[in-house]
Amino acid sequence: MFRFDRRLLQNVDWVLVGGVLLVTVMALLNLYSSTRLNDTVGLSAFFKQLYFNLMGFGLILLIVMVDYKALIAMSYPLYILGLLMLVAAMAFGQTVAGSQRWIDLGFFRLQPSEPAKLITIIVLASYYYRKDTGKGFTLGELFTPIVLTLIPFALILKQPDLGTALIILVIFASMTLFVKLRWSTFAVLTGTALGALPVAWKMLKPYQRQRIAIFLNPESDPLGSGYHITQSKIAVGSGLKFGKGYLHGTQGQLDFLPERHTDFAFSVWAEEWGFFGSLIFMACYFFVLLWGLNIAVTARDKFGMLLAFGIVALLFWQAFINMAMIMGLLPVVGVPLPLFSYGGSSLLTNLACIGLLLNIRMRRFMVAA
Amino acid sequence: MARGLGRINKMDPDELKMLKTRIDVATAIMVALIAILVVRLWHLQIRKGTEYAQQSENNRTRIQYIAAPRGNVLDRNGEIIIANRPLFNVVWIREDSPSPDEVLKQLAKILRLDISVLLDRIRAGADHPRYLPTRLKENIDWETLIAIENNAYRLPGVQVEVVPSRDYRYGEMASHLMGYLGEINQQELDASKGGVYMPGDLIGKGGIEKQFDRYLRGEKGQSFVEVDVRGFVQKRLKSLEAVPGNDLQLSVDINLQKAAEEAMTDKAGAVVAMEVNTGRVLAISSLPALPLHEFSGGIPGEVWQRLLNDVKTPLINKPVQGQYPPGSTYKIVTALAGLSEKVITPDTTFFCSGSINFGNRTYGCWKKGGHGSISLHRALTESCDVYFYQVGQKLGPDALAHYATSLGLGLKTGIAMEHEKAGIIPTKAWKLNRFREPWQDGETFSIAIGQGFDLVTPLQLCRLTAALANGGTLYRPQFIAAVKDSTGAFVSQFKPIIDGTSLGSPKTMALIRDGLAGAVNEPHGTASAAKMQDIIVAGKTGTAQVVRMAQYKATSPSKVPYLYQDHAWFTCFAPFDKPQIAVTVLVEHGGHGGSAAAPVAKAVLTKYFEMHPPTPPPQAEPTAAPLATP
Repeated sequence: MFRFDRRLLQNVDWVLVGGVLLVTVMALLNLYSSTRLNDTVGLSAFFKQLYFNLMGFGLILLIVMVDYKALIAMSYPLYILGLLMLVAAMAFGQTVAGSQRWIDLGFFRLQPSEPAKLITIIVLASYYYRKDTGKGFTLGELFTPIVLTLIPFALILKQPDLGTALIILVIFASMTLFVKLRWSTFAVLTGTALGALPVAWKMLKPYQRQRIAIFLNPESDPLGSGYHITQSKIAVGSGLKFGKGYLHGTQGQLDFLPERHTDFAFSVWAEEWGFFGSLIFMACYFFVLLWGLNIAVTARDKFGMLLAFGIVALLFWQAFINMAMIMGLLPVVGVPLPLFSYGGSSLLTNLACIGLLLNIRMRRFMVAA
Repeated sequence: MARGLGRINKMDPDELKMLKTRIDVATAIMVALIAILVVRLWHLQIRKGTEYAQQSENNRTRIQYIAAPRGNVLDRNGEIIIANRPLFNVVWIREDSPSPDEVLKQLAKILRLDISVLLDRIRAGADHPRYLPTRLKENIDWETLIAIENNAYRLPGVQVEVVPSRDYRYGEMASHLMGYLGEINQQELDASKGGVYMPGDLIGKGGIEKQFDRYLRGEKGQSFVEVDVRGFVQKRLKSLEAVPGNDLQLSVDINLQKAAEEAMTDKAGAVVAMEVNTGRVLAISSLPALPLHEFSGGIPGEVWQRLLNDVKTPLINKPVQGQYPPGSTYKIVTALAGLSEKVITPDTTFFCSGSINFGNRTYGCWKKGGHGSISLHRALTESCDVYFYQVGQKLGPDALAHYATSLGLGLKTGIAMEHEKAGIIPTKAWKLNRFREPWQDGETFSIAIGQGFDLVTPLQLCRLTAALANGGTLYRPQFIAAVKDSTGAFVSQFKPIIDGTSLGSPKTMALIRDGLAGAVNEPHGTASAAKMQDIIVAGKTGTAQVVRMAQYKATSPSKVPYLYQDHAWFTCFAPFDKPQIAVTVLVEHGGHGGSAAAPVAKAVLTKYFEMHPPTPPPQAEPTAAPLATP
């Protein structure tokens, strides 16, 4: 199982590798611009991210060595490990800005909710792959995946991290819709989800509700919570056609833009590179994701297909929500832009996703051993 | 796992097809969502881009204003009267003071203030952001400044702020003319257009500083700076230099002003000196002076109250706001009207027995013993009341008013000073309108000698005197000789303005001038106190009764309470044959014009001719009345 077939090398997907490298270079350029004048983070963030990138590339190498099918067997142990980390974060985690999200590993503060997303994809893909009868899933057959989803969802929601928790749900929805469902199952699930909305609203923390209210009317509170949206829209809008120039974005450089190296990193890019620069970035970025769908289509087997699809769904939904958020189309929910926002856990998880895509791609013509 | 692996190769083609279809659907959804993002990006950056670009500019740029140096005020010879001087204030920036208690204790010691005074100031500004300076003490002296600079290392957060302020080189001299500065108030802010002023600006509150503020203030410079989200300046973007205010050169000669005010020491009243052929004001003085040094930084309530209650009324700018009965100086008008209306000739004589009866009242002459048989020249020279009672009685109030008005009485002169009063020149219609009562003939007696309803300002009387001297032209009194910008180029220059010509032929005027020369130079003249060695002065005294109460009738003047004493007038011009200067003096409650006011005018004239020696050299026989009429 751990033997590495030389033929695999011929099948390395250089298009995906090239696309990811391009996005990584843009991310690092942007991170340099957004952190070099920041007193609290400073340039150390830039170098940290650089190291995480190198670590991530190493991780990709490790991942592509092993046939992704091995994950089917590893899915439950991984899942248990993921849940343990989430529980650990809750029990001993560091509280930052009101949320317990991090486990301090000494050299690195791990945010377990990030790998938890990928682990959820793996466990769902494994389950759907194993249980698929080809006749469409019944509600009863969906009980296990629903429970598998709700446990990490609840743990992450409890941190509280609404954005990431929602991503878990969105992944579940995307993957479940991808496999064959019975119409009745679909109807019941949709009905339940809609029925749960008012309950969910009640369960939101006041600041979370406020964020949604402010999203609907950002001018109601321009200096309070609406500040993020307002300043981000100003940053993006003031980029005009060609941007203010690299390192010359005033909203970012002068601190008007909050969270500008994490969730609002793309605002910095849009401000400095303008409409056309942003289009170039989006073209590269979404090309990688659409290419990921192509990897799913051409996958050797249904597991590969499910896994690739889940990964693309994870990356795409986060990207969409993040960009829609910084452009004022969605409320501020704290979802990073994968491969672009600063953050070690997120970057390593996302590079692992890329590693899995490469893995699936490389083995598309291979007959299972 | 074997089971799973086994299935891989047997992927149902139908299922594969279905999954591929679903991936196509997913692709379509992704593309659609990406399209939404692109459209939104276009909306923000292209469609609304300019709007957001403007908002981003507003976010990062602030304008810092640079104060413009205020223009100086100079006298006619270029002597600086008001200049600028930096004022040093102690400020404290809380953010920069790590241990405020220790710093404030040290500072209190240096400022020789109780620490509670400083704490009160800080408490008053407690709602300011921590990085903004709080002012702790204004206008510190040099020693304190040096002490603070030397101890700077022990006073983190303490800074000395430099604020422009005014330096009155001649102290309180010409205080009403100069005026003062104060912080702009809301009303003034509302009244200003185009954002010339901003809160905190200094603005002229009176006198020249107010009337000519638009010239003096200059234009603020602007420095555009880039700030970060906390408001800290990151860099300067561009700046516009401040444009210094224009200098005002006055027609006033500070030496004459000084002579006038020194001669008026301890007196209350007004002195006006004017060029007879231009209307240029040479000196204009209101006494007592305003305590300008107490006005900087707003007039304290108790100072204001003290000034308000002062019997010498320092708050009134007497040359233009003080209205007094003209007394005997008004006989110039009565004489001019009488001659012009031909109710008298120069040779008409009346008999003065010391009083005259009219109706059932007796009107006295100031000279109890009477002047005997008297004609115009002597009536002016010796200021005979009985003579002018009769001239006035022949004219009636309306004819008198007609001439008085043509000489500028009862009318504002139009000088660039605030709240100028017009005075009162009564007519029959005026009285009916004002009191709903018809004119009493006896009242004509009073107004003929400048009592009763007659009220004039010292400036009006000076202009009248100048008009008499120049042959009847009423020049508008002006005190600005030139406005110059900071390079010395003229912004505007004095031009004489003629506001009218008085009635009366040149010959008539010459007769009256003779009478005035006699009053100063002839043996029995009332104004001999103004007589000069080398110059022939022509003038008229006046003693304006304030309220002569019965109980003080027999009292000697020195025993009458201040407020009931007469006002003393003297108005004159010189040199007699070629008049240059008119001087009018009013001493409030000063007693007799000849004794109280004439010497002040003489002091001014003496100074004037010391600086402008008349050419050709004076005649050998100055005492003779040169134009005595046949």
